Amino acid sequence: MSDSNMEAFQKRLDRMSAIFSDIVAHAEEQSLTRCPYRNRFDLCTAMFRCRNQLPTEDGNPDDLACGHDGTFDYRSAWESNPRAVKRTKERIGRIKRDAEQRRRDRRKETDDR
Amino acid sequence: MPELSDITNEYIREEIEEFLERPEEIERNIALFSRTSPLMQQIAAALIAGDMVTVDQLTRQALDDGVGAFEIMDDGLIAGMGIVGIKFREGYVFVPEVLISARAMKAGMAHIEPILAASGVEPIGTVIMGTVQGDLHDIGKNLCIMLLRGGGFVVIDLGVNTKPDEFIAAVREHNAYIIGMSALLTTTMPNMAKTVEAFKDVGLRESVRFMVGGAPVTPEFGQDVGADGYGKDALACVELAKKLAIEVR
Repeated sequence: MSDSNMEAFQKRLDRMSAIFSDIVAHAEEQSLTRCPYRNRFDLCTAMFRCRNQLPTEDGNPDDLACGHDGTFDYRSAWESNPRAVKRTKERIGRIKRDAEQRRRDRRKETDDR
Repeated sequence: MPELSDITNEYIREEIEEFLERPEEIERNIALFSRTSPLMQQIAAALIAGDMVTVDQLTRQALDDGVGAFEIMDDGLIAGMGIVGIKFREGYVFVPEVLISARAMKAGMAHIEPILAASGVEPIGTVIMGTVQGDLHDIGKNLCIMLLRGGGFVVIDLGVNTKPDEFIAAVREHNAYIIGMSALLTTTMPNMAKTVEAFKDVGLRESVRFMVGGAPVTPEFGQDVGADGYGKDALACVELAKKLAIEVR
Protein backbone atom coordinates (compact mmCIF):
# COMPACT_ATOMS: atom_id res chain seq x y z
CA MET A 1 0.00 0.00 0.00
CA SER A 2 1.33 3.41 -0.92
CA ASP A 3 2.01 6.09 1.68
CA SER A 4 -1.02 8.06 0.51
CA ASN A 5 -3.21 5.02 1.04
CA MET A 6 -1.72 4.49 4.48
CA GLU A 7 -2.53 8.09 5.23
CA ALA A 8 -6.07 7.58 3.93
CA PHE A 9 -6.49 4.55 6.17
CA GLN A 10 -5.18 6.47 9.17
CA LYS A 11 -7.73 9.21 8.47
CA ARG A 12 -10.50 6.64 8.65
CA LEU A 13 -9.13 5.20 11.87
CA ASP A 14 -9.05 8.71 13.29
CA ARG A 15 -12.70 9.22 12.36
CA MET A 16 -13.69 5.92 13.95
CA SER A 17 -11.69 6.80 17.06
CA ALA A 18 -13.41 10.18 17.28
CA ILE A 19 -16.88 8.62 17.06
CA PHE A 20 -16.04 5.92 19.62
CA SER A 21 -14.29 8.34 21.97
CA ASP A 22 -17.40 10.55 22.04
CA ILE A 23 -19.53 7.47 22.71
CA VAL A 24 -17.29 6.32 25.58
CA ALA A 25 -17.17 9.80 27.13
CA HIS A 26 -20.96 10.03 27.01
CA ALA A 27 -21.31 6.48 28.38
CA GLU A 28 -19.14 7.43 31.35
CA GLU A 29 -21.25 10.50 32.07
CA GLN A 30 -24.52 8.62 31.60
CA SER A 31 -23.43 5.77 33.87
CA LEU A 32 -23.78 8.10 36.86
CA THR A 33 -27.54 7.86 36.62
CA ARG A 34 -28.33 5.00 34.30
CA CYS A 35 -26.97 1.49 34.49
CA PRO A 36 -25.01 0.68 31.30
CA TYR A 37 -26.68 -2.72 31.10
CA ARG A 38 -30.15 -1.12 30.78
CA ASN A 39 -31.26 -0.98 27.15
CA ARG A 40 -33.65 1.40 25.42
CA PHE A 41 -36.62 -0.79 26.34
CA ASP A 42 -35.56 -0.52 30.02
CA LEU A 43 -34.69 -4.21 30.03
CA CYS A 44 -31.62 -5.51 31.80
CA THR A 45 -29.01 -7.02 29.45
CA ALA A 46 -26.63 -8.19 32.19
CA MET A 47 -25.67 -11.82 32.47
CA PHE A 48 -25.50 -11.64 36.25
CA ARG A 49 -27.99 -11.11 39.04
CA CYS A 50 -28.74 -7.59 40.26
CA ARG A 51 -31.04 -6.32 43.00
CA ASN A 52 -32.73 -3.99 40.51
CA GLN A 53 -33.86 -6.76 38.17
CA LEU A 54 -37.66 -7.19 38.09
CA PRO A 55 -40.07 -9.36 36.10
CA THR A 56 -41.40 -7.54 33.05
CA GLU A 57 -45.00 -6.34 32.90
CA ASP A 58 -45.82 -8.76 30.09
CA GLY A 59 -44.37 -11.60 32.16
CA ASN A 60 -41.95 -12.75 29.46
CA PRO A 61 -39.67 -15.16 31.34
CA ASP A 62 -36.72 -14.38 29.03
CA ASP A 63 -36.67 -10.70 29.94
CA LEU A 64 -35.93 -8.81 33.13
CA ALA A 65 -36.85 -5.18 33.57
CA CYS A 66 -34.51 -2.71 35.25
CA GLY A 67 -36.19 -1.41 38.39
CA HIS A 68 -33.66 1.30 39.09
CA ASP A 69 -35.18 4.77 39.32
CA GLY A 70 -32.15 6.59 37.94
CA THR A 71 -32.08 9.17 40.72
CA PHE A 72 -28.74 8.29 42.27
CA ASP A 73 -25.35 6.97 41.29
CA TYR A 74 -26.03 3.24 41.45
CA ARG A 75 -22.28 2.59 41.33
CA SER A 76 -21.90 3.28 45.05
CA ALA A 77 -23.65 -0.05 45.57
CA TRP A 78 -20.77 -1.66 43.71
CA GLU A 79 -18.04 -0.11 45.84
CA SER A 80 -15.89 -2.60 47.62
CA ASN A 81 -15.76 -2.54 51.38
CA PRO A 82 -12.28 -2.22 52.88
CA ARG A 83 -12.38 -5.68 54.47
CA ALA A 84 -13.15 -7.28 51.11
CA VAL A 85 -10.26 -5.38 49.55
CA LYS A 86 -7.94 -6.59 52.33
CA ARG A 87 -9.07 -10.19 51.83
CA THR A 88 -8.56 -9.86 48.09
CA LYS A 89 -5.03 -8.55 48.56
CA GLU A 90 -4.25 -11.46 50.89
CA ARG A 91 -5.62 -13.91 48.36
CA ILE A 92 -3.52 -12.39 45.59
CA GLY A 93 -0.44 -12.69 47.81
CA ARG A 94 -1.24 -16.37 48.48
CA ILE A 95 -1.79 -17.10 44.78
CA LYS A 96 1.59 -15.59 43.91
CA ARG A 97 3.44 -17.39 46.73
CA ASP A 98 1.81 -20.75 45.88
CA ALA A 99 2.62 -20.35 42.20
CA GLU A 100 6.25 -19.47 42.99
CA GLN A 101 6.54 -22.50 45.29
CA ARG A 102 4.98 -24.72 42.61
CA ARG A 103 7.50 -23.52 40.06
CA ARG A 104 10.40 -24.01 42.52
CA ASP A 105 9.23 -27.58 43.24
CA ARG A 106 8.96 -28.30 39.55
CA ARG A 107 12.47 -26.95 38.89
CA LYS A 108 13.83 -29.03 41.77
CA GLU A 109 12.14 -32.15 40.40
CA THR A 110 13.70 -31.53 37.00
CA ASP A 111 17.15 -30.91 38.54
CA ASP A 112 16.90 -34.10 40.66
CA ARG A 113 16.15 -36.17 37.58
CA MET B 1 -28.18 21.31 -2.40
CA PRO B 2 -29.13 17.68 -1.74
CA GLU B 3 -32.43 16.94 -0.02
CA LEU B 4 -33.67 14.16 2.20
CA SER B 5 -35.68 12.71 -0.68
CA ASP B 6 -32.42 12.20 -2.59
CA ILE B 7 -31.58 9.37 -0.19
CA THR B 8 -32.96 6.15 -1.63
CA ASN B 9 -33.00 4.11 1.56
CA GLU B 10 -36.18 4.66 3.51
CA TYR B 11 -34.70 3.50 6.81
CA ILE B 12 -31.86 6.04 6.56
CA ARG B 13 -34.31 8.79 5.63
CA GLU B 14 -36.42 8.00 8.69
CA GLU B 15 -33.39 7.88 10.94
CA ILE B 16 -32.29 11.34 9.84
CA GLU B 17 -35.80 12.75 10.06
CA GLU B 18 -36.65 11.23 13.41
CA PHE B 19 -33.44 11.29 15.41
CA LEU B 20 -31.13 14.00 14.13
CA GLU B 21 -31.77 17.40 15.67
CA ARG B 22 -28.79 19.65 14.97
CA PRO B 23 -29.11 21.40 11.59
CA GLU B 24 -25.42 20.95 10.71
CA GLU B 25 -25.64 17.20 11.39
CA ILE B 26 -28.84 16.86 9.35
CA GLU B 27 -27.23 18.72 6.47
CA ARG B 28 -23.99 16.74 6.67
CA ASN B 29 -25.76 13.38 6.74
CA ILE B 30 -28.15 14.26 3.92
CA ALA B 31 -25.14 15.36 1.84
CA LEU B 32 -23.30 12.15 2.75
CA PHE B 33 -26.05 9.60 2.16
CA SER B 34 -27.50 11.28 -0.92
CA ARG B 35 -24.24 10.66 -2.77
CA THR B 36 -23.76 7.07 -1.62
CA SER B 37 -24.93 3.98 -3.48
CA PRO B 38 -28.05 2.08 -2.38
CA LEU B 39 -25.85 -0.80 -1.23
CA MET B 40 -23.77 1.47 1.03
CA GLN B 41 -26.98 2.90 2.46
CA GLN B 42 -28.20 -0.63 3.14
CA ILE B 43 -24.98 -1.43 5.00
CA ALA B 44 -25.31 1.74 7.08
CA ALA B 45 -28.97 1.00 7.81
CA ALA B 46 -28.20 -2.56 8.91
CA LEU B 47 -25.40 -1.30 11.15
CA ILE B 48 -27.68 1.28 12.78
CA ALA B 49 -30.25 -1.46 13.36
CA GLY B 50 -27.54 -3.67 14.88
CA ASP B 51 -28.13 -6.36 12.25
CA MET B 52 -24.75 -8.08 12.26
CA VAL B 53 -25.75 -10.82 9.79
CA THR B 54 -26.88 -8.34 7.15
CA VAL B 55 -23.80 -6.12 7.57
CA ASP B 56 -21.66 -9.21 7.19
CA GLN B 57 -23.46 -10.35 4.01
CA LEU B 58 -23.70 -6.94 2.37
CA THR B 59 -20.05 -6.07 3.01
CA ARG B 60 -19.03 -9.34 1.40
CA GLN B 61 -21.36 -8.63 -1.50
CA ALA B 62 -20.00 -5.11 -1.94
CA LEU B 63 -16.41 -6.36 -2.06
CA ASP B 64 -17.43 -9.06 -4.56
CA ASP B 65 -19.06 -6.35 -6.67
CA GLY B 66 -15.77 -4.49 -6.75
CA VAL B 67 -16.56 -1.72 -4.29
CA GLY B 68 -13.37 -0.44 -2.65
CA ALA B 69 -12.58 -1.12 1.00
CA PHE B 70 -12.33 2.60 1.80
CA GLU B 71 -15.67 3.32 0.16
CA ILE B 72 -17.35 0.64 2.29
CA MET B 73 -15.73 2.06 5.40
CA ASP B 74 -16.67 5.67 4.58
CA ASP B 75 -20.14 5.31 3.13
CA GLY B 76 -21.37 2.20 4.92
CA LEU B 77 -19.71 1.38 8.20
CA ILE B 78 -18.42 4.73 9.51
CA ALA B 79 -21.45 6.62 8.15
CA GLY B 80 -23.79 4.23 9.98
CA MET B 81 -21.78 4.38 13.21
CA GLY B 82 -21.86 8.16 13.04
CA ILE B 83 -25.67 8.06 13.22
CA VAL B 84 -25.52 5.60 16.13
CA GLY B 85 -23.19 7.98 17.99
CA ILE B 86 -25.63 10.86 17.52
CA LYS B 87 -28.63 8.76 18.62
CA PHE B 88 -26.69 7.73 21.73
CA ARG B 89 -25.75 11.30 22.56
CA GLU B 90 -29.37 12.39 22.14
CA GLY B 91 -30.66 9.60 24.38
CA TYR B 92 -32.55 7.56 21.76
CA VAL B 93 -30.38 4.50 22.27
CA PHE B 94 -28.18 3.37 25.13
CA VAL B 95 -24.96 1.47 25.72
CA PRO B 96 -26.37 -2.02 24.94
CA GLU B 97 -27.68 -0.86 21.54
CA VAL B 98 -24.41 0.94 20.75
CA LEU B 99 -22.47 -2.23 21.49
CA ILE B 100 -24.75 -4.26 19.22
CA SER B 101 -24.08 -1.80 16.39
CA ALA B 102 -20.35 -1.92 17.16
CA ARG B 103 -20.52 -5.70 16.85
CA ALA B 104 -22.22 -5.31 13.47
CA MET B 105 -19.46 -2.92 12.41
CA LYS B 106 -16.89 -5.50 13.44
CA ALA B 107 -18.65 -8.06 11.21
CA GLY B 108 -18.16 -5.72 8.25
CA MET B 109 -14.59 -4.82 9.17
CA ALA B 110 -13.75 -8.52 9.36
CA HIS B 111 -14.02 -8.57 5.53
CA ILE B 112 -12.15 -5.30 5.07
CA GLU B 113 -9.19 -6.06 7.34
CA PRO B 114 -7.69 -8.88 5.22
CA ILE B 115 -7.79 -6.63 2.16
CA LEU B 116 -6.05 -3.85 4.02
CA ALA B 117 -3.54 -6.33 5.44
CA ALA B 118 -2.83 -7.66 1.95
CA SER B 119 -2.16 -4.08 0.89
CA GLY B 120 0.41 -3.70 3.62
CA VAL B 121 -1.67 -2.07 6.34
CA GLU B 122 -0.73 -3.80 9.54
CA PRO B 123 -2.69 -3.52 12.77
CA ILE B 124 -0.92 -1.81 15.67
CA GLY B 125 -1.12 -5.13 17.46
CA THR B 126 -3.39 -7.92 18.58
CA VAL B 127 -5.02 -7.65 21.98
CA ILE B 128 -6.61 -10.56 23.81
CA MET B 129 -9.44 -9.28 25.99
CA GLY B 130 -11.48 -11.11 28.59
CA THR B 131 -13.32 -10.71 31.87
CA VAL B 132 -11.57 -13.01 34.33
CA GLN B 133 -12.82 -16.35 35.59
CA GLY B 134 -15.90 -16.14 37.81
CA ASP B 135 -16.90 -12.68 36.60
CA LEU B 136 -19.77 -12.00 34.20
CA HIS B 137 -19.51 -8.20 33.86
CA ASP B 138 -18.66 -7.16 30.34
CA ILE B 139 -19.82 -3.64 29.48
CA GLY B 140 -16.55 -1.93 30.39
CA LYS B 141 -14.55 -4.55 28.52
CA ASN B 142 -16.81 -4.21 25.49
CA LEU B 143 -16.41 -0.43 25.43
CA CYS B 144 -12.64 -0.92 25.56
CA ILE B 145 -12.84 -3.38 22.68
CA MET B 146 -14.87 -0.95 20.60
CA LEU B 147 -12.27 1.78 21.14
CA LEU B 148 -9.31 -0.52 20.60
CA ARG B 149 -10.72 -1.66 17.26
CA GLY B 150 -11.37 1.94 16.28
CA GLY B 151 -7.77 2.66 17.24
CA GLY B 152 -6.37 0.10 14.80
CA PHE B 153 -5.92 -2.94 17.02
CA VAL B 154 -7.10 -6.43 16.22
CA VAL B 155 -9.00 -7.60 19.27
CA ILE B 156 -9.79 -11.18 20.19
CA ASP B 157 -12.67 -11.08 22.62
CA LEU B 158 -12.76 -14.09 24.94
CA GLY B 159 -15.95 -12.85 26.60
CA VAL B 160 -16.67 -13.32 30.27
CA ASN B 161 -15.62 -15.93 32.83
CA THR B 162 -12.29 -16.47 31.05
CA LYS B 163 -10.01 -19.11 32.55
CA PRO B 164 -6.22 -18.63 32.60
CA ASP B 165 -5.81 -21.50 30.11
CA GLU B 166 -8.12 -19.75 27.68
CA PHE B 167 -5.97 -16.60 27.76
CA ILE B 168 -2.87 -18.73 27.16
CA ALA B 169 -4.48 -20.63 24.28
CA ALA B 170 -5.61 -17.37 22.65
CA VAL B 171 -2.13 -15.82 22.92
CA ARG B 172 -0.64 -18.88 21.28
CA GLU B 173 -3.29 -19.12 18.57
CA HIS B 174 -3.23 -15.46 17.59
CA ASN B 175 0.41 -14.71 18.26
CA ALA B 176 -0.67 -11.86 20.49
CA TYR B 177 1.41 -10.05 23.06
CA ILE B 178 -1.07 -7.77 24.82
CA ILE B 179 -3.68 -9.13 27.21
CA GLY B 180 -6.45 -7.08 28.74
CA MET B 181 -8.17 -8.46 31.82
CA SER B 182 -11.25 -6.98 33.39
CA ALA B 183 -12.97 -7.68 36.72
CA LEU B 184 -15.79 -5.99 38.56
CA LEU B 185 -15.80 -7.99 41.76
CA THR B 186 -13.20 -8.07 44.52
CA THR B 187 -13.87 -11.81 44.72
CA THR B 188 -12.78 -12.36 41.12
CA MET B 189 -9.85 -9.93 41.04
CA PRO B 190 -7.44 -12.56 42.42
CA ASN B 191 -8.05 -14.48 39.20
CA MET B 192 -6.07 -11.77 37.44
CA ALA B 193 -3.08 -12.83 39.54
CA LYS B 194 -3.85 -16.49 38.79
CA THR B 195 -3.76 -15.72 35.07
CA VAL B 196 -0.44 -13.87 35.30
CA GLU B 197 1.01 -16.76 37.30
CA ALA B 198 -0.31 -19.27 34.77
CA PHE B 199 1.64 -17.41 32.06
CA LYS B 200 4.78 -17.69 34.21
CA ASP B 201 4.10 -21.42 34.63
CA VAL B 202 4.15 -21.98 30.86
CA GLY B 203 7.09 -19.64 30.26
CA LEU B 204 5.12 -17.02 28.36
CA ARG B 205 5.15 -14.17 30.89
CA GLU B 206 8.13 -12.33 29.43
CA SER B 207 6.71 -12.27 25.92
CA VAL B 208 3.38 -10.64 26.82
CA ARG B 209 2.14 -7.49 28.53
CA PHE B 210 -0.88 -7.44 30.83
CA MET B 211 -3.23 -4.52 31.25
CA VAL B 212 -6.00 -4.59 33.83
CA GLY B 213 -9.13 -2.60 34.54
CA GLY B 214 -12.58 -2.69 36.08
CA ALA B 215 -14.44 -0.68 38.70
CA PRO B 216 -12.71 -2.02 41.85
CA VAL B 217 -9.29 -2.30 40.21
CA THR B 218 -6.70 0.35 41.13
CA PRO B 219 -3.14 0.97 39.94
CA GLU B 220 -1.94 -0.57 43.21
CA PHE B 221 -4.02 -3.70 42.60
CA GLY B 222 -2.62 -3.83 39.10
CA GLN B 223 0.88 -3.97 40.56
CA ASP B 224 -0.19 -6.53 43.16
CA VAL B 225 -1.48 -8.95 40.52
CA GLY B 226 1.68 -8.45 38.47
CA ALA B 227 0.15 -6.51 35.57
CA ASP B 228 2.17 -4.16 33.38
CA GLY B 229 -0.41 -1.41 33.36
CA TYR B 230 -3.78 -0.23 34.58
CA GLY B 231 -6.43 1.62 32.60
CA LYS B 232 -9.01 3.58 34.55
CA ASP B 233 -11.42 3.70 31.60
CA ALA B 234 -11.74 2.76 27.94
CA LEU B 235 -9.84 5.82 26.71
CA ALA B 236 -6.95 5.05 29.06
CA CYS B 237 -7.07 1.43 27.94
CA VAL B 238 -6.33 2.39 24.33
CA GLU B 239 -3.47 4.69 25.32
CA LEU B 240 -2.03 1.96 27.52
CA ALA B 241 -2.35 -0.66 24.78
CA LYS B 242 -0.48 1.64 22.37
CA LYS B 243 2.27 2.16 24.95
CA LEU B 244 2.57 -1.58 25.66
CA ALA B 245 2.58 -2.36 21.93
CA ILE B 246 5.65 -0.14 21.47
CA GLU B 247 7.29 -1.53 24.59
CA VAL B 248 6.95 -5.18 23.67
CA ARG B 249 7.96 -4.88 20.02
